[in-house]
Amino acid sequence: MTALLEVKDVSKQYGSDTLALANISFSVKEGEFVSVIGPSGAGKSTLLRCINRMIDASSGTITFDGVNVPTLNKRELRRLRTKIGMIFQHYNLVNRLSVMENVLHGRLGFKSTVAGALGIYTEAEKQQAVEILSILGLSEQMYKRCDQLSGGQKQRVGIGRALLQNPKMLLCDEPIASLDPNASKIIMDHLQNISSSMGITVLINLHQVEIALKYSDRIIGVSRGEVVYNGSPDKMTNEDIVRIYGSEAETLMIDVGDKDVGDKNAG
Amino acid sequence: MGLRMKPAVAGQENAVLNRQAKIKVKPFTKEAFVIRTTLISLVLLTVYGFFTFDYKDASLVGGTLSMLRNFGVMFFEPHFSHFTFWEAVYQVLITLGLAVLTTLLGGIAALLLGLLAAQNLTNKTVSNIVKGVIAFIRAVPTVLWVLIFAVAAGLGSVAAVIGMTFHSVGYLTKAYSESFEEMDNGIIEALKASGARWWQIIFQAVIPASIRYIVSWTFLRFEINFGVAVAMGAAAGAGGIGFDLFMASGFYFDLREVGTITYFILTVAILLEMTAMRIKKKLKTA
Repeated sequence: MTALLEVKDVSKQYGSDTLALANISFSVKEGEFVSVIGPSGAGKSTLLRCINRMIDASSGTITFDGVNVPTLNKRELRRLRTKIGMIFQHYNLVNRLSVMENVLHGRLGFKSTVAGALGIYTEAEKQQAVEILSILGLSEQMYKRCDQLSGGQKQRVGIGRALLQNPKMLLCDEPIASLDPNASKIIMDHLQNISSSMGITVLINLHQVEIALKYSDRIIGVSRGEVVYNGSPDKMTNEDIVRIYGSEAETLMIDVGDKDVGDKNAG
Repeated sequence: MGLRMKPAVAGQENAVLNRQAKIKVKPFTKEAFVIRTTLISLVLLTVYGFFTFDYKDASLVGGTLSMLRNFGVMFFEPHFSHFTFWEAVYQVLITLGLAVLTTLLGGIAALLLGLLAAQNLTNKTVSNIVKGVIAFIRAVPTVLWVLIFAVAAGLGSVAAVIGMTFHSVGYLTKAYSESFEEMDNGIIEALKASGARWWQIIFQAVIPASIRYIVSWTFLRFEINFGVAVAMGAAAGAGGIGFDLFMASGFYFDLREVGTITYFILTVAILLEMTAMRIKKKLKTA
């Protein structure tokens, strides 16, 4: 498999002295499920947003699907963004609109300004939306308004919207940080299923180390804007976790790390 | 021990009881000082005012009584003398028409300007320029705008429409842009990240997300414009029930007819208020 995403020496500077990302390099293969873990403020969200240029990186090169991302003009950037779906912690749906309308928003990037603004979609697009909703188990909620849904359902609508873009990659910015364990599991299972059965690459920011260990093909550990771990979850050790989360978190994290890494090693 | 409670910490009792001064509930701050000084000087000015007014020979009791008598005549003996019931209804409709027209024109212009003034939808420079211009328009009262446009258009309905529209634009742009700015920026981010264009984001996310505010602010402005339209009928000769009111009071000195017109305006105002409440209820649930 070839690398779908190639991030090389990417830095992001806010103001004159805040370095959010410092020479980050990694690559992601097609169909891979990659988790990015690290403490709050380590630059995980910034990293994700640099890839679809919701935030412009200060330096470095990002190649996605053979395209050099930082040099794209406005029009090319919109084309790139249609190929990358994004999922958010707070779902970011239009609450007053129906589930169907929100999912169909995934097609806006492919439509003319007027058709998109007026919300005129083709039958084929609607058909695909219905199919995606049934995969995500939301067929019954199709015409419900989004503010009537639970958090887990809202996140599934968010996934549906991203999937309707027919993306090559999904960027997930802490998709389960506001969900209870049950809903979290459902969302993670859906994401895993999307990755394995549809061949869509998933790059996901996570706070829960156990979940990252369980679901990912690869884990990238970020601390203070730098990549401090990049490898398979099986090879992750307590020292790696301490290095990612810092020494002051040592006592807290070792418990989690011990158990999971121990299990992995045993199994 | 009676009612005295045992202190949790041994030293605490002494610390409170040994104090000689009264215990303050609120610390005396600079703010409190400013507020108190302002209030006291307002009271003093009011008292001073009462002593220095030129009362002519009007007595408080006599004046109040005759005012009440006039109110009685106005509201208990209303009649029609210069126009019929249906003519009055027609004039009220003209006034309403003035309010609808100015709110509609103002609303359309304000929607566009509101989008440009919202900082999350444009950049800081554009937003600040639009906000500055709008603040200037709003700072000048509606009546003044009407009189300014009367220079070019002559005193009458044209000047009233332009002037009232102008001020409505100022008012509604601020209201709209603030509701746009209050919306969840994540929604805009999500659609941007999916490759949507600006106009698509506006129509598919920004307006649906803030439609409740847009409708309720527009209706509030409509109610204001109705009031202003009555005043403009009198002050700028814009026609409608306001002009009849002006004629009845200032020209014919017909208190009874003033009463009739007041009842008409009151009825419309109540109807508007009821409609507004109903619309807001619907928007909340629908």
